[in-house]
Formats: sequence, C-alpha cells, structure tokens
Amino acid sequence: MNDDELRPLSTVAVVRLVAAREIGERLRSKSFYVLTALLMLIILALGIASRVAGNDGADTLDVGVTALSGSIEDDLPAAIASAGELVGRDVEVSELADEAGARTALSDGDIDVAVIGDTRQVIFDGLVDDETFGIVTRAWSTVEIVEGLTDAGLADDEITALLTTDPLTALTLDGEDTTGLAILIGTVSAVLLFLSLQTFGGYVLSGVVEEKSSAVVELLLVRVRSDELLAGKIIGIGVTGLLQFALSVAAGIGSLAISGSSIPGEVWSAWPLTLVWFIGGFAFYSTLYALAGSLVSRQEDAQAASAPVLSMMIAAYLIVFIFGFVPESTVSRVLSLIPPIAPLLMPMRMAAGAATVAEVITALVLLLAATFGVWKLTGRVFEQSLLHRGARISWRRALATVGPRRSPAPVKDR
Amino acid sequence: MRQIARTWSATSIGRCCAARAATVDLVLEVTGLSKRYGPVLALDDVGFSVAPGQIVGFLGPNGAGKTTAMRAIMRLVALDAGTVHWNGVSVDPAVRQRFGYMPAERGMYQRMKVRQHLVYYATLSGRREAVARRAADAWLERLGLADRADDVIQTLSSGNQQRVQLALALINEPDLLVLDEPFSGLDPIAVDVLSELLRAQVERGAALLLSSHQLDLVAAVCSSVVIVDRGRVVLRGEVAELRATSPTRIVEVEFAAPTAWHPEAHVATSDDGRTYRIRVDEHVAADALIRDAEQLGPVLAYSYSPPDLSEIFLGAVGGDSAVVLPVLQAALAEEPAR
Repeated sequence: MNDDELRPLSTVAVVRLVAAREIGERLRSKSFYVLTALLMLIILALGIASRVAGNDGADTLDVGVTALSGSIEDDLPAAIASAGELVGRDVEVSELADEAGARTALSDGDIDVAVIGDTRQVIFDGLVDDETFGIVTRAWSTVEIVEGLTDAGLADDEITALLTTDPLTALTLDGEDTTGLAILIGTVSAVLLFLSLQTFGGYVLSGVVEEKSSAVVELLLVRVRSDELLAGKIIGIGVTGLLQFALSVAAGIGSLAISGSSIPGEVWSAWPLTLVWFIGGFAFYSTLYALAGSLVSRQEDAQAASAPVLSMMIAAYLIVFIFGFVPESTVSRVLSLIPPIAPLLMPMRMAAGAATVAEVITALVLLLAATFGVWKLTGRVFEQSLLHRGARISWRRALATVGPRRSPAPVKDR
Repeated sequence: MRQIARTWSATSIGRCCAARAATVDLVLEVTGLSKRYGPVLALDDVGFSVAPGQIVGFLGPNGAGKTTAMRAIMRLVALDAGTVHWNGVSVDPAVRQRFGYMPAERGMYQRMKVRQHLVYYATLSGRREAVARRAADAWLERLGLADRADDVIQTLSSGNQQRVQLALALINEPDLLVLDEPFSGLDPIAVDVLSELLRAQVERGAALLLSSHQLDLVAAVCSSVVIVDRGRVVLRGEVAELRATSPTRIVEVEFAAPTAWHPEAHVATSDDGRTYRIRVDEHVAADALIRDAEQLGPVLAYSYSPPDLSEIFLGAVGGDSAVVLPVLQAALAEEPAR
C-alpha cells in the first residue's frame, strides 16, 4: 500500500466525509421517513379537509338574497359578484325563500351574509363585516342606479359605459403597500425558523451527546480535529433538516393548491433572501446547540445544558415581535445587526425595504464571525471534555477555555 | 535506506551516531511524560521506548496511569511535560496517521454496518475509498467476519464487536499499534487468535505497545515490559533479562503429602498444602531450605528458578502479602497448564 496516502485530510474533505456519514445514517433510519411522511400527510390532509368542508375557503363570500322583485331580482346577484371582484373577493350568491329561511341558512353557516330585499336589511351572523357590507351596498346602489337610468330612457350599452370605471391603486407615503405583506413573510419565516431550530437543534444536541457518550469519539479524534467533526455533524444534520423542511413546504404549497387558495407572488420573490437568513440562523443556533451538547456526556443532562440557548432564542423571537413592526427605527436598526437576532429581524426589515445594503452585509458578516467563534469554542470544549465523564461542565467553565489551554477534570485510569 | 536517511535528518547532529541510525530506524520514544489532574499526579516523568518487531507489555495496577500514557502517545491528552517521538520526530497529526489505536473504552457507531464502519475510518485516515474497501474486506476475511460485513454493528456479539474494534486499529497497516487492554473480555480461543495476529503484525515490522492485567498473557506474548505504579515507571526491560537480573530467586518445594511448614519469606502455598513457593535472595543457596523441608516429610520435587513475570510485577509495584498471596496462588494453580 502507498504510505504517502496516509496524510491528514483537508478540513473540507473531513467535513464532507463526516457530513456524508451523518446524512447516510439519517436517511437509513426509518424514523426519518416516518416523521417526514407523517408531517407531509398532516399538511396535505389539512388542505383536503378544507376542500371537503365545502367551497368555504376564506376568500369565498356566500351571499343569500331573498324576496326580490323586478329587475333587482335579475341584476343583484351579478352586481354583488362584480362588486366583490373589484376588491378581490370571490362571491357566490344563492336565492332564499324568505327571511326565516335566510336566518336559518346564516346560523347553519351555509351563507356568510343575508340580504333581505323587502326590508332593505343586511344580516350577519355575529359581527358586521364592513367589507362585505360595502360590497352589498355598492351592488345594491348600482342596481338602483341602473334601474333609474333605464327609466330615464338610456340604452343598456350607454348605462354600462357610464358605470364602468378603471380600478384605483392604493398607495402609502412610501410607495407601494407591501409592508403588511413583508411583515407577514418575515413573521412566517421567523416562526418557521424558530420551529425548525427547535427540531433540528435538538437533533444536533443529541447527536453531539451521542458521539461523546458512545466513546467512539476517542477513536475519531486520533484521525480528525474535533471542530472538523462537529462541523461535519452540524452540516449533515442541517442538510437532512433542510430536506425535511423543503418537503414540508412542498406539502404546504400542495395543500394550499388543494384547498383552492393561492400564494401571493411577493412570497415567491422574497424566498431566496429569506433562505439565506434561514441557513445563517440555522448555522448559528445549531452551533450553539452543539456547544451545549459538548458540555455534557449523558442524554439526561442535555436538555438542562441547552436551556440557555433556548432562552436566547425565545428572547430574540420576542424582540422580533416588538421591533419587527417598526423596521425603520434606530433600535430596530441596531438590534438587527446582533447575531442571535439578525436571522429573525433582518429578513423583516429587508422585506419592508428598511435595511440598507451595508446593514445587511454587516449583519451577515457579524453572524458568520459569531458562528465561526462559537464553532471553534465548541471544538475546544468538546476536546477538553472528551475524557470528562459524569457531571456536566458549567457554561462559565466552558467559556474559560477560550483562554490558555487547561487540564480537563481528573481522568480515572482503567 | 529511506528510513535511515530520515533518522539522520531528524536527529540532532550532537546525538546522532552511525550505529544508532543503523539499528534504530522506526522507534517510539517516550520521555519525561508528566500529567497532573488536580491533586492526582497521573504521570510522573514516564519514559520508555518501543522498537519495531517488539511487543512491549504495559503493566500496572488500576489507576497507575497506563491509559493516560497511551492517550498521551495518541496526542489525546495535553501533557504538562514530556515528549513523544516517533523516529526522532515529535508526534504530530501527520505522524499519528500511521498509528493504530484501540482505546480502553470501546466505541463504535452501533447503527453502522461493519464494512461501512471500517471503510469510513480508513477514509478518514486518508485512504482512497477503493483502497479502504479492499482493506476492509481483507481484514474481515482475516478475522472471520466476512459473512457479517453487511450486518449492523449492534447485532454482533461482544466478542465479534471486539474483533471489529481490532480491525479498526489494524486496517491501515500501522507502523505503531497502541492497544489498551486488547485481551479483556476475550475467551481463550479468541486470545490465541489475537496473539497470533499481533505476532504477525510485529513480524511485518510494526511496533506494538499493549496494556493488560493478564500477566500470564503478557508473559506469553511480550518480549519486553514497562511496569508503572502511581504514575511512575518502576521497572522496564526485556522479560528474560528482568528475570535473570532479579535480585530474588524462587524455591519451589513439593511434598508427597500435605505438610505444615512456615519458612521465612514464604510467598505462596498451593490449596492442597503440598506445594510451597519461597522467595530468597539471589545469592542464598537453596540447600538449607530443602534440608529444612525434608525434615518435615518426604519431598517429591524441588526447583530453583528466577521469579516469573507476576512475581517481578508484584515485587515492582510493592504489593503487600495480602494482595500478593491470592494472585500468586492463582498463578501457582495455573502452573501445570504451562
């Protein structure tokens, strides 16, 4: 055999090998498929359920009308449908015999609103919905106007020409009204990131502890560096995590399609940026979870050791919900640069158009540097605590290893 | 020739001489290892060497510092003082790639398949995948595990897992093997197989350091020993030489019938009360002792020999008789088997 082959591998090569093993192990485990399939099935089932529950999607407005006479009877359903269309609502109009029947249909949930022609009343179940009331009012007045114009002797095409208007565009002082949607996208991605970190951070945590508790690590560390091993592990788990996440998102899109809803175009254009922050946040928090895992050598201690990471994540999450809605403020500007907060807050500020390119780059660089620092520290702690069995190491002691090399706790010879 | 050239370049000119370069080509040299864990001095100025073609037994009571020293050789422990050199060069990650290691605490990925695990470890050591695959199959064949290659490790018996663990240490045909308690948990047949395998490695030119509690096994397998106690090397050298130069001799007397006898420096009595082992100074003649015995009853046989390894070991680690006796009696009981 060629002896010159037995050289230490490059970090990239080691990380690739370790990550490949990690992915392979996870893809071979039945639980991965069961969990993913279950997740996708639940998401798809939600879509199917919403479809089966009737064409009662949030966007469809069911209007019941009663006891009409003359041309109102002929024209009102069409007028309501087109008035709804102007504000982007699908409307279905059904005719009902009388007010009692309308009330029954309303309380059964068959319709969202009832229009009682005799008494000129619009009845809601529960709260009056201003938008719906506006649609009905507009339709009613249109029909009355048409009636009046017809009586005045105008021809139908003349009336149509008179009543046709170009749609208006809504603007804010900043320009287009996208802030609401941006905040929505930011919030959704913050929630998704939070949930994913909960799941995959847990995988990283238990993966690192498993490595330590199984003693296999002593064999590995005579071949590779501890930080290389950890990087491979985090990346491997991250890739399977993203795969699972992507499948869930695909199921979600499928589910929305089944239920008859659609996704706003802005979501599609915002996702590449969101993904960058998603991966950045994942890398940062996973590395912190790996650090927590390095402090203990038994699975029982893992949850307690990771509590500070969870607290940090929840704090960052709360901050996002307070300052995400004022993306232009100085506080928000500063907070969005801080590594633990940036992955959650910056996407919202970016989507709202409030972040400058310099801010985004600074935040990314800081996040990268922080992740690198935590990674190196984790490698150090992992190596030092490798032969440290039993009690867990305090965070303070772990952070002290940043200084000069110190001995780990006593090792019992066997 | 290449090895010699490497020694020349790596050794400082002052220390180097032609004879040394010619005889000492690949050798592990451990000098002045010291390691303190809080109040415990795990290693205290430990030094020894292991040459190719040599099996060195690393002995010592529990807590003597064997595992720490072996971890230090594999660079898993940050030393307070001391050096570990291979072929005159300080052991760095590149040098270490040529070492094979079996840790005291066995550990493998329990959910990986046997061949897969071997290939993974070999590729981490720098082997190309195809080469690693061939090496893995060759070792599985040699260790009688070829039919288990695609089984998951956790389905293997502990003996078979131990074999895989050994294959992990051997798969790269290492220059130096550091095996921490390789015999523990093996049945006698497996011990024989392992001993043969290790001898073959040494014949190939590997240097081998192994620790063990089973002194009879060490005596059978190892040419040299290093005995440590409380972090210090208390004795080291070739087994034959240690026996020959020991300041004590053992006189063994076998009576025809059970006999009560209380000689001075009496170290052990067999269970049936017929055989006695007595430690005497090297220059003391045994005649007086034998005559003393013959007055008590008919003597069937007697011998005068240097102490065996376990007696040297106990002498070196200063075991008192409460500890010594049971061990020696056990050694005595095994005597006929040898």
